[in-house]
Amino acid sequence: MSDMKYVGTDVLRVDALEKVTGAAQYIEDRFIGPMLHVKMKKSTVAHGKIKSIDTSKALQYPGVKAVLTGKEYPNKIGLYLIDRNFLAVDKVRFWGEPVAIVAAVTEEAAAEAAELIEVEYEELPGVFDPREAMKPDAPLIHEDLGSYKVVPIFYPKPGTNIANHFKLRKGDVEKGFAEADFIVERDYKVPQMQHVSIETHKAAAHWSPDGKLTVWSTAQSPNVVRQLLSESLDMPMHKIRVISSYIGGGFGGKAGASLEGLVIPLAQKFPGHVVRIVFNREEDMQGTFTRQALYAHLKTGVRKDGRITALEYEMIWDGGAYTEYGVNIVRAAGYSSSGAYEIPNVKTDSYCVYTNNSIGGPVRGFGMCEMQWGIERQMDEIAKELNMDPLEIRLINGMKEGSKTATGQEVHNVGFDKCLKAVADKIGWGKKEGKYRGKGIAGLVKCPAQPSNASSSAIIRINEDGTAHILVGATEMGQGMLTAITQIAAETLHIPVEKIDIKIPDTDFTPYEWQTVGSRVTYTCGTSVKRAAEDALGQIYCIAANLLEVPEEELTFDGKKIYSTKDPNVKATIREIADSCKKCTGEGIAGPIIGRGSFVPSNMTNLDPETGQGNPGMFYCFGATGVEVEVDPETGVVTILQLVSAIDAGKAINPRLAHAQLRGGTVMGLSTALYEELRFDKGVILNRNFTDYKICSIDNTPHIDSFIIETPEEGGPFGARGIGEQPMIGVAPAVANAVNDALGVDFNTFPLTPERVWRVINEKK
Amino acid sequence: MPSYEYVKCTDLKQAFDLLSSREQAYPLAGGTDLMVGMRGGKFTARLLVDLKDLEELKILREDEKGITVGAAVILNEIAAYEPILKNIPILAQGAHSVGSYSIRNRGTLAGNICNASPAADTAAPLYCLGASIVIAGTGGQRTVPVEEFFTGPGKTDLKKGELVHSVLVPKPYPQEKGVYIKASRTGSVDLATVGVAVQRWGDKVKIAVGAVAPTPVRALAVEEAVNEKGEKDWARAAKLVHESISPITDLRGSRDYRYHIAEVLVRRGLEQTMGV
Repeated sequence: MSDMKYVGTDVLRVDALEKVTGAAQYIEDRFIGPMLHVKMKKSTVAHGKIKSIDTSKALQYPGVKAVLTGKEYPNKIGLYLIDRNFLAVDKVRFWGEPVAIVAAVTEEAAAEAAELIEVEYEELPGVFDPREAMKPDAPLIHEDLGSYKVVPIFYPKPGTNIANHFKLRKGDVEKGFAEADFIVERDYKVPQMQHVSIETHKAAAHWSPDGKLTVWSTAQSPNVVRQLLSESLDMPMHKIRVISSYIGGGFGGKAGASLEGLVIPLAQKFPGHVVRIVFNREEDMQGTFTRQALYAHLKTGVRKDGRITALEYEMIWDGGAYTEYGVNIVRAAGYSSSGAYEIPNVKTDSYCVYTNNSIGGPVRGFGMCEMQWGIERQMDEIAKELNMDPLEIRLINGMKEGSKTATGQEVHNVGFDKCLKAVADKIGWGKKEGKYRGKGIAGLVKCPAQPSNASSSAIIRINEDGTAHILVGATEMGQGMLTAITQIAAETLHIPVEKIDIKIPDTDFTPYEWQTVGSRVTYTCGTSVKRAAEDALGQIYCIAANLLEVPEEELTFDGKKIYSTKDPNVKATIREIADSCKKCTGEGIAGPIIGRGSFVPSNMTNLDPETGQGNPGMFYCFGATGVEVEVDPETGVVTILQLVSAIDAGKAINPRLAHAQLRGGTVMGLSTALYEELRFDKGVILNRNFTDYKICSIDNTPHIDSFIIETPEEGGPFGARGIGEQPMIGVAPAVANAVNDALGVDFNTFPLTPERVWRVINEKK
Repeated sequence: MPSYEYVKCTDLKQAFDLLSSREQAYPLAGGTDLMVGMRGGKFTARLLVDLKDLEELKILREDEKGITVGAAVILNEIAAYEPILKNIPILAQGAHSVGSYSIRNRGTLAGNICNASPAADTAAPLYCLGASIVIAGTGGQRTVPVEEFFTGPGKTDLKKGELVHSVLVPKPYPQEKGVYIKASRTGSVDLATVGVAVQRWGDKVKIAVGAVAPTPVRALAVEEAVNEKGEKDWARAAKLVHESISPITDLRGSRDYRYHIAEVLVRRGLEQTMGV
């Protein structure tokens, strides 16, 4: 494939000029005409019955047009477990839950009026730790769990707070432990975090008198939003139009449906108005998905030669007040629970548990950062127990061609060992550089977590002048999707990138894409667009054969003209083919060319409900992270001296953008490793702004070396697999492993703040 | 955020009149604490009195008295002002460690001390330099030592209708090294968990510590040990900082970590200024 012209090259982002000049339209830039602004009245208790809501004062406030409560909008919504109302009905389950909404002519009036709504609660005992919430006598958060609709691959336990129990049984774990020479066993904890996208969550809706609903949303997945709205509003899909503008960062936080439901009922009351809600940063922190906290217990059995014989993993996840999406994170972490390693005997129980904390949901990594924190810490602990090199034990147990995952799925085209070696080489593995310096590595793997039939489609229109338009339903949130998809189309069609236009999705015009999540669209949408391009190309050949009266096999297309390989003078330009092609006699041959392509994975299966065995992975993407740190033992400050990330991308469609994704994911991982943690007090997030929710800024982002390994993925377009989430997964454990190497101190949780590091050093003394 | 009036002042008298006659009137210079506080509900302002255009408050000069920093001078300017870098670099270090570059492009020294956070990064250096705060109001000007200006968390010696006119760092300047060392969660764009200023004066030392008490405090016990009793073991001297501080636990750090870090930073400050 070395003769490729567009794929594998550093094409400039197709949206670069628009974005750097400020011309790119985000959701707030898009409206003209009459508008209403929406603000929420939020719950001031974490768990309570709503006794009364008095909206009279708010309704009298100047500029207020309407106030709505949950009573008027009772249908539940959810992607996997239908457990959530956009506005609380009868009871609230977390602090900050929307209880009522106000529409007013200005945002200020809406905010002031929302303050005037009086809500009386009967406070109920709250539960804020999922381990407590699992106990039989814990307060029930969803009394009606048994009546909720649920996708049948999830297993809620009515009468408890358990929203999903994923079970995995591979081999015989007792036999595996009996064969082990050493057993290492430990608890791990991962705290909640937030995505902190640069753009907060926003939505707007417009109701047309003919019953057409238009929704603008910062949604990563407009088709899923349309589906969920269709179900909860009982409206046919052709009456719902969802437009995703450019999105200022998603990271999973804008997957599924979020706040669209807050504006739609108000839009229905005021046809012709655009009704808009814009979350402020504090609302984004408390009121949108957080990463679920994880309390885990991990036990590993290993032989003297370094071979792991058994693994037992119990994961208890803090699903928060609603787990409509979170149940699938718990499932994904469960089925991936041997990490990047082949382990013959695995027993896993992964529980999603309701609490009265903020809603848990998807965040870059989708459970893998949390689950592999334990795996990658324990790999180092095992190595220490065996007095073996931590790199060596990873290479011994790491997945290879034909290895089997925890679910028994065979993996192929695996470059895991290359990733490990690349980062180890770069950081000078094995060389101790100073008293307070240390090195750490971590492996990582992730497959897209999606339903087995999550599909994708694409349309390519060839214009009369031979330029083209691509229509796809994937969203652009900074990751570079538009550019990569354009390159795939250009390569297939032989039409240069600059002659192809691609737009952000609008469900009235762009074809179906399940979701832009899970590092999947390069693979799924890329495959669809490649098929659409092949379809269009096939039409070009067919029309040319007809026009030139030579067999198709004899023709070749160079992007501008199509000609006979036997006689290059027998030729036609792309314009002649594309512009309602006709013979010299005037008889028409063919109308405009429209290529279509669609994709659904054929290699995935459901998992056995008792053993979790089956094929959940569309593809597996492996990688590794390497870190060198210096620790100030007095203050606990960890300084990153080297940070290296490697990923097996299969094929980098655009190497520059792929490296940018690697570095971006690595920075986000570093930020969680050192700083990020939501601090809760009985369900209230105490650090709801950037004064106290700290993230990596440019000042404390070190240089990052990134390596792209290319072991082609058979099913992927040009051998590509998705890499968006993976670079984040290994960073926290690699940093902790490096600090351990430096000072011999162990961490079972992160972030490694100066104070935590100091405390752990002190405990060891 | 409740609505408020805004007046851009053209002379100081107008500012005094507005601040003394109106309820919930606040002076505005950089606004980097004020606006954030208003949005977060910490302040309810009905009137903002903008001082940014007053030439008298934009003075940044060195003369026979010392260095005068007007209330409207931004922190980035202070951190780059040659006479400060040459004579009192500890103040430049403090100014430079406030917030981010863009915050320092609006924020002022006067604002940093008027906000009266015990963690104010410029306060500890000013304590060590014996700075004076020039306060102006309808009744004329008065001058208070910086250590009397801070009266509690968020509280200052300012009376209704008064504002900080300028800050004076008087001559003579120290001829020796001074350092401001800040511990924070991220190392940049963060509030101090503990901030320590150590300024050598001849063979004596002045030490001030931030974020460990209701106001910034001098580490008098440490100073006494070093200056009066000839203590040369900096580690032993630094332990005495515990006598001067009473830290609390908050989101930025716990009480015991703050005790520990204050001691470590005081010792490091002594090592860096008084020699190992």
